[in-house]
Amino acid sequence: MLGSRRPRALGAAAPEDDGDLFDDDFQRKLDVLALVSRRVASGRTRAERRSKKTGSGIEFADHREYAPGDDFRTLDWNVYQRTGRLLVRLFEEEEDLSVYVLLDQSRSMGVRMATARGTPGTSKLRYGKQLAAGLAYVALAGLDRVSVLSFSSQMEERLAPTRGKNRIFRVFDFLRPLRADGQTGLRDALRTFAAQNKRRGLAILISDLYDPAGFEEGIDQLRFAKFEPFVLHLVDPAEAEPRLHGDVRLVDTETGEARDLTVTPRLLQRYRAAHAAYRKRIADYCGEKHVPYHALPIDVPFDDAILGVLRRGGLVR
Amino acid sequence: MSFTGLGTLQVLGVLGGFGAGVVVLYLLKLRRRQVLVPFVPLWEAVLAEKQSTRLFAQLKRWLSLLIALAVVAALATALGDPRPDAALRDGRTLVVLLDASASMQATDGAEPDEAPRSRLDAAKARARLMVRELGPDDRMLVAQLDARATPLGPLSGEAKVLRDAIDAVRPVDVAADLRAGLRLALDVLRDQPGPELVLLSDGRLAAGLDLGELGQDAADAEAAPTEETEEDEAPPLLASDRLAGALRDRGVRLSWERLGREGDNVALGAFAVRRYPLDKSQSEVLVELINASDAPAEVELELLGDGQSVEVQALTLEGGARLRRFFRNVAGIDARLEARLRRTDGGGDVLPADDRAYAMLPPRRRARVLVVEPGLYLQAALLLDEYLEVTEVTQASYDPADEGSHDVVIYDGWVPLRPPAIPALYLYPTSDDPERGPFVVTGSVDAPYFDRLERQHPLLRFTALRDVNVAEALTVELRDGDRVLARDERGPPLLVAGRRNGQPYAAFLFDPDASDLPLRGAWPLLLLNAVDLFAQEGAGFVSSFRTGESWALPVPPSAAQVLVAGPGGERRVPVSEGRAVVAGERAGFHTIRAAAGADAGPTLTVAANLGASPESDVAPAPSLTVGELRAEAPSAGSDDVRQEPWAWRVLFALVVLAAEWLTYHRRVTV
Repeated sequence: MLGSRRPRALGAAAPEDDGDLFDDDFQRKLDVLALVSRRVASGRTRAERRSKKTGSGIEFADHREYAPGDDFRTLDWNVYQRTGRLLVRLFEEEEDLSVYVLLDQSRSMGVRMATARGTPGTSKLRYGKQLAAGLAYVALAGLDRVSVLSFSSQMEERLAPTRGKNRIFRVFDFLRPLRADGQTGLRDALRTFAAQNKRRGLAILISDLYDPAGFEEGIDQLRFAKFEPFVLHLVDPAEAEPRLHGDVRLVDTETGEARDLTVTPRLLQRYRAAHAAYRKRIADYCGEKHVPYHALPIDVPFDDAILGVLRRGGLVR
Repeated sequence: MSFTGLGTLQVLGVLGGFGAGVVVLYLLKLRRRQVLVPFVPLWEAVLAEKQSTRLFAQLKRWLSLLIALAVVAALATALGDPRPDAALRDGRTLVVLLDASASMQATDGAEPDEAPRSRLDAAKARARLMVRELGPDDRMLVAQLDARATPLGPLSGEAKVLRDAIDAVRPVDVAADLRAGLRLALDVLRDQPGPELVLLSDGRLAAGLDLGELGQDAADAEAAPTEETEEDEAPPLLASDRLAGALRDRGVRLSWERLGREGDNVALGAFAVRRYPLDKSQSEVLVELINASDAPAEVELELLGDGQSVEVQALTLEGGARLRRFFRNVAGIDARLEARLRRTDGGGDVLPADDRAYAMLPPRRRARVLVVEPGLYLQAALLLDEYLEVTEVTQASYDPADEGSHDVVIYDGWVPLRPPAIPALYLYPTSDDPERGPFVVTGSVDAPYFDRLERQHPLLRFTALRDVNVAEALTVELRDGDRVLARDERGPPLLVAGRRNGQPYAAFLFDPDASDLPLRGAWPLLLLNAVDLFAQEGAGFVSSFRTGESWALPVPPSAAQVLVAGPGGERRVPVSEGRAVVAGERAGFHTIRAAAGADAGPTLTVAANLGASPESDVAPAPSLTVGELRAEAPSAGSDDVRQEPWAWRVLFALVVLAAEWLTYHRRVTV
């Protein structure tokens, strides 16, 4: 070929620096998120959610700011006398909600596709960590029992169920050291998860769903074990629109499998169609099985993504 | 086709070497870039579909290889500098004379199926074609032929240089002088290979075929002394024969491209205007109209004074006729007069250049006349012209220093010691000393008559002198240059004009008081004609100039250069002895002013008309011969000999590379 060949930015699995993953700015966003999510939940599903908010429990759990519409009987007048602030007392309910945040940490989650400027972009794993932390904080703020787990082809790490929003730092400490490794195996990993966790509850699956064996069986494992699966499909727009051209060797980041091909505009067009079809297949399957499903592009800020998920419903009841 | 750069074997070697290199590079498997992707199975489906187009992809690779080999072949053969065999013939040396004379402005230069264009434009197009047909060893010199032959560039084979020279040819309103062109050609073509003189012209040449001067020049340049001796002894050859011999001796091929077709033309042949002596607010205009075609023509003649129409007249011109028309008592003209001719019957008029004529009227300023000892008749005659400012002095009070503030001096029956420094009119120039005055008086003759008259002289304009009775006339000794305007048939002159002390004069060699001339209308006319003539000549006034001549224009004495602006643009002209000498090339009004920095002085406007009336006969000459040498058609060139095949090959390679680069980066061919 007589044309010049400039070096092209490639997809990379290089680890990211997670030092600033949960910085102050991130935590401020969590606070806003928790506040907004409460308003969303109370505005939409008041008296339907199984939580301490009804005040029927006996064990004190936490305080929160008074919001219009709260029951005056739950106001903590002692605190009001001391501080002048109107706080509502929250009590544990006898049967509380268990929330499991399942984060895919396979190598495909760590791929950083080239951006338009040729530099490596954000990995899905980093985005998934922020998403998991955000959701966990929302659940902790709602006094739910929250457990965070990571998996690849098997269950990897686990944060024991905990509650109370001051536990969010444990969640941070759990998520920060996670590295992308291993192959995706939804079926085996989630089967193990279902076997190990007898307390049923909401299972939030955060993954790119790149499972050579198929994503269906993994989701089915949750369904069959009476969990309430909630699928958050992380989508890297750079994967859907790869900036590739010319003769390349594609290497699967999980299996190491290689394919030689010449990328042409027509080939890219077919790839985009195949990628869109794959996403549609997932959405169709989840819809068919009444499993809440959200595709989240990772170029959308994680707090906006969480609010979008909350507003569209399904996660907060 | 032959290689004039690298030899055939060398070209083949380069082709083989680089071609093999390209093939090897194509056979080598290109190392592919590795790209990590998260999920190869997504690509699998695409790759499976891709297999069906693999054959096409292979074909594209082979096509790419073939293109690369074609580029190598083009560049290798370009190194060989291939030339058509026709381009390898011996070179020619061409002198191309483009006739830029007035007749070449005729608008019949195009073929019947082409858009109208002038003969000069057709000549330029033909010259450009000749440039395209030049061989690699041919050289050409382009010259403009008008009253002179002006080379417009060097003797060159560069197409751009020659095209620039052709573009520089400008039409002028003069007749072409073939002698000048032939002189130039003989000089340029001396000792040059394949000499050829190409004349692009309609054949209407001022010199005709009387080329005696050129023949003498050629003989001077060429002939050996022994030949001169032989010529002296032999019967004289016709000049054109000698020229033909010079061309033949130098091996110069005489070529002529005949331009133009037979076309109708009406023209203004002559144009003159003058103020009436006694009423300078009105003028008399003479117009001569020419119909150069055989068919009658309906025309409209319009006179414009200072840009405003003052007279329009419809006229019929018979075929081949010359019609003279006087327009009398034309008023409303201050300075500029222009005549325009236009056909009104829809007939052709291929030469617009001769449809206009221009003239300037003398300024209506008072002439200052110094009169010494005037008689009553003289005083009465001078009172008739309100534009005269007369100063009368006696012989005793006459001071030559007064001459400087006057235009004309009149001596009535008296002569000064020395001729004056201004124009003078002598009436009966006698004194006690017979040698004093403009003439030496030798005697007298009784009862002379005006038997012989120079009627064309402006002094005698409007006069009738045949029956004037004169009692006595002086007999004088005339000097060289003196011109007798009226004389008795016995010999004694009665009216004489000439120059004394560098100034014009006129003299009545009889006493008007002793004749009945003062009783006639001719008396004041003679006086006023003389005053007008001298006053205008002193001011250097000329009603109109002719193109093709040199105009000596009076300018402020302190000016070293003047700017002459006219229809052909503005140009600087040096001044010599108070006169700017301008080569007249364009008809129309021209303004002359001192160049910046000098004493500007008043702006002078002059008029110029087409110089050679034969130019109005626009029919192209049927043939052109110089002596016995008949001009042939120009030697034919070939369209393809000028081409540079190597350049086309390089261009092909660049275009292919650019297309390949573009399609590669647009992902069309990968």
